[in-house]
Amino acid sequence: MTAAPILEVEGLAVAYGAAFAVRDLSFSVPEGGIVALVGSNGAGKTTTVQAIAGAMRPRAGRVRLAGAEVAGADCAEMVRRGVTLVPEGRLVFPQMTVDENLRMGGLNARAAPNVTRNLARVFELFPRLAERRNQLGGSMSGGEQQMLAIARGLMAEPRLMILDEPSLGLMPKLVGELFGLIQRLNGEGITILLVEQNVRQTLQIADRAYVLEKGRVVLSGAGSDLLDDPFVRKAFLGH
Amino acid sequence: MLQTIVNGLLYGGTLSVAAVGFSLIFGVMNVINLAHGVFVVGGAYAALALWTGLRLDPILALVPIMAGGFVVGAAYQRFVIGPAVRRGSPVAALLVTFGLSLVVVNGLTIVYSSAVRNVSPAYAFFSVRIGDVTIDAVRAIAFVTALVLIAALALFLRTTVWGRMIRATAQSELAARLCGVDARRVYALTFGVGSAFAAGSGVLIGMIMPFTPAEEVQWTVYAFVVVVLGGVGSPAGAMLGGLLLGLAATLTQTYVGPVYTNVVMFMILLAMLLVRPNGILGSAFRASR
Ligand SMILES: Nc1ncnc2c1ncn2[C@@H]1O[C@H](COP(=O)(O)OP(=O)(O)O)[C@@H](O)[C@H]1O
Ligand SMILES: [Mg+2]
Repeated sequence: MTAAPILEVEGLAVAYGAAFAVRDLSFSVPEGGIVALVGSNGAGKTTTVQAIAGAMRPRAGRVRLAGAEVAGADCAEMVRRGVTLVPEGRLVFPQMTVDENLRMGGLNARAAPNVTRNLARVFELFPRLAERRNQLGGSMSGGEQQMLAIARGLMAEPRLMILDEPSLGLMPKLVGELFGLIQRLNGEGITILLVEQNVRQTLQIADRAYVLEKGRVVLSGAGSDLLDDPFVRKAFLGH
Repeated sequence: MLQTIVNGLLYGGTLSVAAVGFSLIFGVMNVINLAHGVFVVGGAYAALALWTGLRLDPILALVPIMAGGFVVGAAYQRFVIGPAVRRGSPVAALLVTFGLSLVVVNGLTIVYSSAVRNVSPAYAFFSVRIGDVTIDAVRAIAFVTALVLIAALALFLRTTVWGRMIRATAQSELAARLCGVDARRVYALTFGVGSAFAAGSGVLIGMIMPFTPAEEVQWTVYAFVVVVLGGVGSPAGAMLGGLLLGLAATLTQTYVGPVYTNVVMFMILLAMLLVRPNGILGSAFRASR
């Protein structure tokens, strides 16, 4: 863990109206690494990553991307700066074809000139999507939609890709493939921030993980260390 | 009978143009634009002003009037609807659209009085006979223009980047924003396009029938009924709904009596709401856009 952080979050607070879902949250993501946020339902993981991606405005705290202060920047700016969130629930555009979905992903000024090249790249990575290029996003299976959501995210040419519960609702066999894919993307130089409920597999591939509870970090450490942590074992691994 | 059907379909084409903008605004933003009819009537009066003032043919006048409708609609969204939605609830936006329409109608009445007006270009009195059916040149021209306008909108939504952004925002605002779409600009654009089509339909309506400022309410309701009938937030759905409504209105006028037209409209609206309660505001509409 000697790489400089690409993302540093310090004292982050995010609220829905008067209800704070995240408060005084701090963590960092080293360039080129895989960092995981785990925690039970309602812990504030989705809120956190949406605030980082610019979809929600933080009430307090700092977010630094490659050294630049970006707290409060909107989604368009974060995408331009290289942060892409693949949202919880996939959110593919149901009435758009696979091709149109992917082109939406490549809209930002940095990636737009390379759409053709990026399309070829994601079709190579996901041959299934190439076969279904003209099919509507909403007509595909859950697993295919998840692949489409990730592919759409890749079209934006992210430096930091945030994945919010990508394994949710996938068959066990597909979950294995998904984790392989995440490692492969990381191997190609994309830094990964992974939100997951699938704690065992996540900790196995994460360089570092943070455990969230009620909007705060309650525990953090190397992924392999947390696998042996008594609290983690009891709370998430069922023994 | 055949004559009535032809008239109904020709009229329906114009209704489709009035409704397609309403349907677009509702489909993308979930805002029921109660000021929609004001843009329709405004378009009709603008065509009248350009015709009496400059002798500008209404079909040519479509260009500046739709451009004007776009600018006013986009500004209206940006500075009135948007803040209302953000601050309060959709109900707040609904009330604001209602209030503004009252102001504009009163303004038009002061300038033009509440007298019935119409726009009559030179070709207003030509017609052709095919068998037993007479087709007025002006109706045929209005109908063809309506088809061209709706096809152009469909093409815009399907093939351009901005069209794709509008559709994406309608299907999932969050996902569109995460792709880098500026949702606020998309909303202003959508309202602009919707209003441009309302104003454009006003021009066509002004060509084929007389109008008054107070008819604004009727056009909003018709647009709503067309959307209910078409059941979809797409140009094709508005086209279908418009043709059906045009038929229903003209048949009622001819065989039941002109005073019953609005009664029949409301009965259609009620029946649709009973048969497919979530057909307009609910899932059927959302799923199809
Ligand atoms: N749209 C919302 N409005 C109000 N409260 C919300 C909303 N979304 C989430 N919350 C609340 O914020 C807290 C954190 O939620 P979330 O970030 O979704 O957690 P996680 O992703 O870890 O399951 C929860 O208490 C949840 O009820
Ligand atoms: Mg979540």
